[in-house]
Amino acid sequence: MSGHNESILREPLITGKNITYAQITDDILLPVENKANKAWWIGFIISVCGATLWVVAVSYTFWFGIGAWGLNKTVGWAWDITGFVWWVGIGHAGTLISAVLLLFRQNWRNSINRSAEAMTIFAVICAATYVVSHMGRPWLAYWVLPLPNQFGSLWVNFNSPLVWDMFAISTYFSVSLLFWYTGLLPDIATIRDRAAGLRKKIYTVLSFGWNGNVKTWQRFEAVSLILAGISTPLVLSVHTIVSMDFATSVIPGWHTTIFPPYFVAGAIFSGFAMVLTLLLVARKVLGLENYITMFHIESMNKIIILTGSIVGVAYLTEFFIAWYSGSEYEQYAFINRSTGPYWWAYWMMMTCNVISPQLLWFKKIRTSIAATWILSIVVNIGMWFERFVIIVTSLHRDYLPSSWAMFYPTWVDVSVFVGSIGLFFTLFLLFLRVLPSIAIAEVKLLLKSASEQAKMELIKDGHLNKEQVQEYVESLEKFDSVKQEEYAKI
Amino acid sequence: MESNKKYWKGLEEYNNTPDFVENNKNEFAESLPIEDVLSEAGLSTVTPRRDFLKALGFGLGAVTLAACQKAPVHKSIPYLIRPEEVVPGIPNYYVSTYKGNSVLVKTVVGRPIKIEVNPNAGPFSTGTDAQAQASVLDLYDVSKLKTPLLKKEESNWAEVDAFVKGELNKAQASGKKIRVVSSSLNSPSAKAVIADFAAKYPTTKHVQYDAVSYTGIIKANENSFGKAVLPKYNFDKADLIVSFAADFLGTWISPEEFTAQYISNRNNKSLEKGKMSRHFQFETGMSLTGTNADTRLPIKLSEEGPALITLYNEITGSNLPGGALANNVNADKALKLVAKELLQNKGKALVVAGSNDVSTQTLVNAINAAIGSYGTTIDLDNACQRYEGNDAAFAELIDEMNRGEVAAVFFLNSNPAYDVSNAKAFTTALAKVPLKVSFADRADETADLCDAVAITPSYLESWGDANTYQGFYSIVQPTINPVFNSRQAEQSLLMWSDNAIQDYYKYVRNNWEKNVLPFVGKTWKDVLQSGVVSGTAKTAGSYTFGLSLNAVASSIVTSSKALQKEIEVHIYESIPMRDGKNANNAFLQELPDPVSKVTWDNYIALAPKQAEKLGYKEFDVLTVKGENGYSVELPVLIQPGQAMGTASIALGYGRSKVGKAGDNVGKNAFPFVSFSNGTLKYATTATLAATGAKNELAQTQTHYSFEGRNIIREASLKDFLKDPAAGSGNHHKHKVYDLWTTDKHEKLGNDWVMAIDLNACTGCSACIVACNVENNIPVVGKDEVRRRREMHWLRIDRYYSFNDEKTGEGVTEEKEIAHMSNLDNVSVVHQPMLCQHCDHAPCETVCPVLATVHSSDGLNHMAYNRCVGTRYCANNCPYKVRRFNWFNYWNDSRFDNYLNNEFTQLVLNPDVTTRSRGVMEKCSMCIQRIQAGKLSAKLDKRALKDGDIKTACQQVCPANAIVFGDKNDPNSEVSKALRSERVYYVLEEINVQPGIGYMTKIRNIDSETKEVHA
Repeated sequence: MSGHNESILREPLITGKNITYAQITDDILLPVENKANKAWWIGFIISVCGATLWVVAVSYTFWFGIGAWGLNKTVGWAWDITGFVWWVGIGHAGTLISAVLLLFRQNWRNSINRSAEAMTIFAVICAATYVVSHMGRPWLAYWVLPLPNQFGSLWVNFNSPLVWDMFAISTYFSVSLLFWYTGLLPDIATIRDRAAGLRKKIYTVLSFGWNGNVKTWQRFEAVSLILAGISTPLVLSVHTIVSMDFATSVIPGWHTTIFPPYFVAGAIFSGFAMVLTLLLVARKVLGLENYITMFHIESMNKIIILTGSIVGVAYLTEFFIAWYSGSEYEQYAFINRSTGPYWWAYWMMMTCNVISPQLLWFKKIRTSIAATWILSIVVNIGMWFERFVIIVTSLHRDYLPSSWAMFYPTWVDVSVFVGSIGLFFTLFLLFLRVLPSIAIAEVKLLLKSASEQAKMELIKDGHLNKEQVQEYVESLEKFDSVKQEEYAKI
Repeated sequence: MESNKKYWKGLEEYNNTPDFVENNKNEFAESLPIEDVLSEAGLSTVTPRRDFLKALGFGLGAVTLAACQKAPVHKSIPYLIRPEEVVPGIPNYYVSTYKGNSVLVKTVVGRPIKIEVNPNAGPFSTGTDAQAQASVLDLYDVSKLKTPLLKKEESNWAEVDAFVKGELNKAQASGKKIRVVSSSLNSPSAKAVIADFAAKYPTTKHVQYDAVSYTGIIKANENSFGKAVLPKYNFDKADLIVSFAADFLGTWISPEEFTAQYISNRNNKSLEKGKMSRHFQFETGMSLTGTNADTRLPIKLSEEGPALITLYNEITGSNLPGGALANNVNADKALKLVAKELLQNKGKALVVAGSNDVSTQTLVNAINAAIGSYGTTIDLDNACQRYEGNDAAFAELIDEMNRGEVAAVFFLNSNPAYDVSNAKAFTTALAKVPLKVSFADRADETADLCDAVAITPSYLESWGDANTYQGFYSIVQPTINPVFNSRQAEQSLLMWSDNAIQDYYKYVRNNWEKNVLPFVGKTWKDVLQSGVVSGTAKTAGSYTFGLSLNAVASSIVTSSKALQKEIEVHIYESIPMRDGKNANNAFLQELPDPVSKVTWDNYIALAPKQAEKLGYKEFDVLTVKGENGYSVELPVLIQPGQAMGTASIALGYGRSKVGKAGDNVGKNAFPFVSFSNGTLKYATTATLAATGAKNELAQTQTHYSFEGRNIIREASLKDFLKDPAAGSGNHHKHKVYDLWTTDKHEKLGNDWVMAIDLNACTGCSACIVACNVENNIPVVGKDEVRRRREMHWLRIDRYYSFNDEKTGEGVTEEKEIAHMSNLDNVSVVHQPMLCQHCDHAPCETVCPVLATVHSSDGLNHMAYNRCVGTRYCANNCPYKVRRFNWFNYWNDSRFDNYLNNEFTQLVLNPDVTTRSRGVMEKCSMCIQRIQAGKLSAKLDKRALKDGDIKTACQQVCPANAIVFGDKNDPNSEVSKALRSERVYYVLEEINVQPGIGYMTKIRNIDSETKEVHA
């Protein structure tokens, strides 16, 4: 992949001067091999507080019962499944980046795939906690697994989307973990080689005896490709199955065939937004501007416009189909979404998911770090509301008006959700401290072909079209890590 | 023997070395290394460590096992000598009588756990009311006293007897009056006991008063016809019923009996004959009866009298003054129509009024006489003895006590310190009485003021009898020994009056054998089996009305004028709470009011436009100040159908000393009741003021319109007669497409289904309580109901539709209703909603663990033990009939409404498991009854017959609105019912194939009745 020179028209994937392989290793392992800075500690303390809140709220629920939440006879799922779908959705970007973009040879993924995959795993953990804690009798959660048992001829119901869900999520989690860990092996070996004492022992064990010879690398590449092949359908299947929790039901607003693609698009949408939320901060705090460049940010923003628009079209299609179906229950469900007691949730969703991402059509906004960061958070707020709207507003007024009811969250509902965010960030911040947040080995592949350094060499050689060079130099304007004066000299 | 060979096991034995001899002494010994351990060196050897680990392992394991769970100790005492008739698991049934209605008590191993219908009980054999169903819980009420009280201290019977007798002798000596105060006592034996008591103490008088009084009717009949009785009303003989605020389906006199009568002219059987009665209701608040009326006109309390005068004038052509309804044109038009129809239906019509005013009831008598009701729809010769209270007599008692003329007073089934309007005057007067004895079962408001509380057991522990109608007797027999150290009031009175018969059982039996049984040719044993005896009824005579009505009319006009204030307040009896005597019954507290669907509270009901006019929102807390200065703070309930300018407040709430569940629930409305012209008036005026506070009422249904959805299907009688399928949608069935054409499940045995007649269901809600008791459904309390978490498996959905002034069409959509200027013309429908046992049940496919599955006989099962509580089934249930155990309601001190103690848990039905926290539950169609029915048929070696199995809701329904049975049997009642063209299935278009067919609601309305509202 690195044997040829990349076109000067492509923006650099790594910026900075005098970057060597050693420099890359040093840069990326900086947070792993040194004491944490203040920013990390502040973030970590806040996150641990959040995680503690989560422990308290979930323990409270386990102790007293699901009644601690605001659910009722009409609305049997609310913040729990909203949170579950939200977290599973967020997890999607990781797999998309690591698997699909790998298969499509999108090299720019090399800088972000590690963090995105870590994010996936932590998000799926958060989602899984909801799967267990929303159950009335969580101590029997293992009953949804088709385990051979001595309860008599008891088995699971393969007709139930929840069983499909259990398979989908557990498969997704194990494959993602495997993929992530496989990718980590050469990097762990790098840490091992640089470490001493106890750290060395730990990383030695973790590196599975990686020795860096050609055969190992070859197998590594092969396994990566195979896992990418396995993961790719999962990108589509997991959220498709999650959407079937709703789509196979009879409840107006849930019983919708558009859900699978709509959910997948929404998942990628929210996943990329979360990657941006995390990495925009991480690149500054960890000083990784040279590796996670404006090119990455802009690329991800483009994906957000695309998926956001798909989601928007899906929203409108639902409305059209509700009208076109002629089913009064369906029609009421959608009118009620936009004008009923939860209208604010619906318009929150519309604004955050459909309208605000359209701002990214403007290059200025797309390449502004502050704007991107704010929009990435807005998108995830919108996506949370999307799930809330689907779940709560469909349930709270379904077929028989006698049962119509409102849902009001309790402090436990809020704490479980806020706490799950705390849990997520705790895990992510710990990850930043013990494992390289950028795939060192993979990013090194880019140095000789796709880095700013390599391109500058090309320019210096002077065999290039002037206009193309001009365009390249101008495009670098938006990179916050590039010093323009270097180019003026040439 | 000598020849025994010696076998040796080894060379060592053969050689018999000293070593071997030594070792052989302890063959398997492996000496413990105690010495080694004790010696310092031992600790470092290898063996002690291993032994230590063994000991540690064993010790830890044993301790862990022992500490795992302390097995709860349940002390069960086996029957050493088993009573002949008690077989664990097989219930026994005993006839008894609850509040004058004959019932069957189901007992299991000596515990009464359910009230059922006594099929032999004549007018009471169709069903029971909610109170009777809930009454089993009162037996197990922990708030009751366990021993008699003397001077508020726990005491024993010897002390109480000595004290009371001593005081009685003093009273006797002083020559002062002795009074026995009771609510209407329809027990002949109890009355005889009191008569005997009066014979011993001649200054004794029995004062009967009722918290909700019918003195007005009794007095009016005395004035009009010389018969001071409540008549027997025959709603079944009336083709036209006109009610002026009489809630005869809900609370008035004998509602479950009237329901059966009323429905007999309106149910499917009657409709198939093309016959349906017509019912007009003129009333202030929305009563249950009003919700069932074909045409309902809201009128103010002050308009009730003038309306009756108008009706009388229209019918008889006379010209009594005061009959102008200037401000209520619709009511005026309706009265003219009613008058015309009454004259057309002479002898087949009935006019009733709920008023307790003598003049008003006298006028009603005049109207009924004019339309020939006496002898047909009203029977004065087989009078009803349910209520005999005399308001004036009680007023006189207070005066007597005030004057210090009373030396002793006994309270039997009465609680005047709570339920009379001038309770304060009563309590001050009571303080002047030297001997005050209460026969209450708890230290209630009155008992708390008494010197002695001679605690009385509940009717389930008592002997007794009732004589509800002249010539109709029923027996009360105990189904369990008195649980506490209680004694029947009658027994106490017998003992205190040194009666020759000291045992009340003997007394009752003697009384029956002397005064009842010889005349009906039955034996005591017959009575204990059938529960009731009745003599031949007298023929109802027709009566003519001969009084001059001028004084009556002027009295009516005067009372009417006195009520004409900005807000006229209607004080009424609510269906769950009635007069408040059972306020500690958690089942009743959580029973939603059939109209407002409010639980655990009373409220001030205002018409929607009235609230808008006064600027009040729903649940605003108002200070309601009555004309007598009494004021309470009550939350507002917006009640469609409430007359403008009026408010309604329910009685029965605001008890302060009834027990854990009922104390301080709602506010007491009795002080609003006023006493004038010799009777109690349940009408007053009040001023309202907002307090600024809010009190969210706990309602089980908050959305009142059905949004034009075809879940409710109705038709007018006219359309029905033209086409029986009118309004049912049966002419436009969709074609059903089925994915599973090759995978049909044959139901070879039974196919359990249900048919519910919306025209028969009045919404009385007895079925809800029956279901609660039968299926051990937890009571969750006000807060949980507010969170919409009540557990009722069966609910009754109540929908309002508002009829447009111009078109007369029903408007059912919330958004359109919001734009209507007149909300007075409201139609109501009640729809019992329970698990539909769908053949394509959406709940079944989504359960991940197969906790809810379909049975081969058409039932949707719920396996509680398998449920992990994902709640997906409840979400996917289109009828929202599944209920989730959010908490451990029966074992969580935060929900201690009744069940969190071992004593009350005895009320549980042992055939139905209690559900733990985190488990879904729902209607099982009383699967335990289905199983019991099947088993008993099997034991009898016969096939199951239609009617062998009745669900709890079906059995209790006074209107027979619910029919359960086997669809595979073409001759079963349910199969016949489901073949009716009126049958439709709720949400049939989503093809879940529900198992419960509903029959269209038919309203006897036409262009003339619509014109009334125009």
